Amino acid sequence: MDCKKKIHRTFPFLLLFVLTVFPGNAWAVQSHGAPEGLYVHQLAHIFYAAALSYLFWDIKRNEFRAGGWRYLRIFCVLMVVWNVVAFVGHSLAGYVHSSELITGSEYLKTHFEGTLTTANFLCYFTKLDHLVSVPAFICLFISMRTIYRNSLEEEEV
Amino acid sequence: MINLPMMPTIVMDMVGSLIIIVLSFLSLRYAYLLTRRQPDNFLWGFLFYFCLTLAAFSVSRAVGHLLKQILLIYGNNEQWNSLRPMSGSFNTLLMISLAAVTIYYHKGIEGYRAIQKKARSIKEANLQLEVSAEKLRQLNLNLEGMVEERTMELSKSEKKFRNFFTNSKDMVYFCDTSNRMVKMNPAGLEMLGYSMEEDPELNMLDVFRNEEDLDHYFETIVTVGFVEDLEIEFVRADGTVLYVLLSATAVYDDNREFIACEGIAKDLTRLRTMMEQLSSGEKMASVGQMAAGVAHEINTPLGVILGYAQLMMDDFSPESEEGQSLAVIERQTKACRKIVADLLKFSRQSESARENLLINEVLEDVMAVTEHSLNMDHIYVVRDFAEGLPGIVGDTEKLRQVFVNFVNNAHHAMEEQDKGKLFLSTYYEEESHRVVATIRDTGHGIPEDVRSKIFDPFFTTKSVGKGTGLGLSVSYGIIQEHEGIIEVESPVNIDGETVKGTAIHVKLPASLREPVSVIE
Ligand SMILES: Nc1ncnc2c1ncn2[C@@H]1O[C@H](COP(=O)(O)OP(=O)(O)O)[C@@H](O)[C@H]1O
Ligand SMILES: [Mg+2]
Repeated sequence: MDCKKKIHRTFPFLLLFVLTVFPGNAWAVQSHGAPEGLYVHQLAHIFYAAALSYLFWDIKRNEFRAGGWRYLRIFCVLMVVWNVVAFVGHSLAGYVHSSELITGSEYLKTHFEGTLTTANFLCYFTKLDHLVSVPAFICLFISMRTIYRNSLEEEEV
Repeated sequence: MINLPMMPTIVMDMVGSLIIIVLSFLSLRYAYLLTRRQPDNFLWGFLFYFCLTLAAFSVSRAVGHLLKQILLIYGNNEQWNSLRPMSGSFNTLLMISLAAVTIYYHKGIEGYRAIQKKARSIKEANLQLEVSAEKLRQLNLNLEGMVEERTMELSKSEKKFRNFFTNSKDMVYFCDTSNRMVKMNPAGLEMLGYSMEEDPELNMLDVFRNEEDLDHYFETIVTVGFVEDLEIEFVRADGTVLYVLLSATAVYDDNREFIACEGIAKDLTRLRTMMEQLSSGEKMASVGQMAAGVAHEINTPLGVILGYAQLMMDDFSPESEEGQSLAVIERQTKACRKIVADLLKFSRQSESARENLLINEVLEDVMAVTEHSLNMDHIYVVRDFAEGLPGIVGDTEKLRQVFVNFVNNAHHAMEEQDKGKLFLSTYYEEESHRVVATIRDTGHGIPEDVRSKIFDPFFTTKSVGKGTGLGLSVSYGIIQEHEGIIEVESPVNIDGETVKGTAIHVKLPASLREPVSVIE
């Protein structure tokens, strides 16, 4: 607990530190390809996932039992999964050779031609990250709606 | 070698981005509504910022993706390449922001929970306070009612006991250790002959007739705690003696210290005189019986004496000395017989006749015998006889005897005065169907304390030889035999005026038949 508190306390400074030390990285990096930007982005994913995990745990701890909060927890889980997917996706981006992506005259007809390595397959799969994030947002929506309606009912009582 | 079309990923990217934008904004809307509803709720605030950053993130990311796809579809790779870092940075920034919002939430939730806990306990306390306030109010209300009720009960009970104290026909008193009678009820004061107004400061010493009685009383109270049915004598204000039955109880304080006593005394004077009378009455009855027996025995020799005297009177002329002596013997013997007859009458052994007679005539007969001697003492007779009275049934001789007794008593009562008046009156009392004869004199009257005894046999206030005390008791017996009543009034009340003297009303039932003259 103490340790966690310390982390929380130091986090804003950490953020400030990152942003001041790498100002260019935050704004002016040309592509994810440049390692700094990618690192920050990946770190952000980790933070994001950590924050959601924390939220997931805290909702349980506080015993917010109402239906809405349960959906929020599902949202957290899905978004953590999404973060993992995105993280993996970004990590793998470097392994896919652009030579293998055949872009013809039309962008929509782009297709992948090459040996099917695990990395390639994963990379392809991570492109489909919306399969995770859309259900997550649906959960978020349901969660907010339920919480709002519950609060309306509570008021009436 | 495989060939995977990128088309599905592109389409999905675009559609998913759109959906996410819509959903995130819808969520934001609800979160916003929540904050509007309860602006103070920390949780809603958090959810709002959470959704806000999410929405911003969605926009940044999804718009970036959409732009990318559209630009790539239309072949504007150059433009995309220049926008790409911008979009990426925004995404990074917003992801970090979201993490920050969530982390900061942690601090907030602690406070929120503390506040929530406080609020709950305050609410509970308030509720409890309300409950106790209500309880208190009820209690207060009840208390008022209870006090009122108790007070009423108390005053009721107080009244009851006060009434008992005031209205008791017996003496009720409270007495302190120095034998001072601190409080006494009206009956007690009346008993002792004091008035309520003067409120006398009485001491037991003044009231008790014998000091030994008081000593005994006080000693018993102190040692035993009470006295029961003590028969003692009290002294009244005027010095007369009162026989009382006394019961008293000691009163102690909290330390079992004797502080006072309370007592009840019952006046036994009447009971005592009654008892005395009863025993004397019994005595008299036996005396009467004996007298009757004696009278009966004497009657025979008296008859013999009278017979022989009368026999001898035939042998002597009335003028001769012997003849005169015999006449005295005859007269005195007759007197003796009369006394004997009276005695017999007193013991009610003689038979009575039942004839129809008129009361006026009986009275005239009596007057004929007595008026002369009354006049000698300057007593004059005033007659007021009603005309046409109904007759009565009875023994003329006995009734004459009754009225002679009354007239004689009246005569005696007026003897000492130089003059007097004897009023004789008769009238018919319709409602009771009775004939009333009243003999009223202007004599000294009958004192209060004597009045209850005048009908007793042998009761007399006259000197020996003058009165026998048999007159009224014999008369009473005779009138009772005739089913009549005698009422004595002294002093007499005439038309609302009190007059000295005595009036005797003899009330006899009227006969139903026509009156018959009984003149002998
Ligand atoms: N008319 C009266 N006036 C006053 N006292 C009377 C009268 N009649 C009766 N008494 C009282 O009643 C007492 C009893 O009367 P009574 O029985 O006739 O006995 P006696 O005449 O022999 O005394 C009398 O002694 C007298 O004191
Ligand atoms: Mg007489």
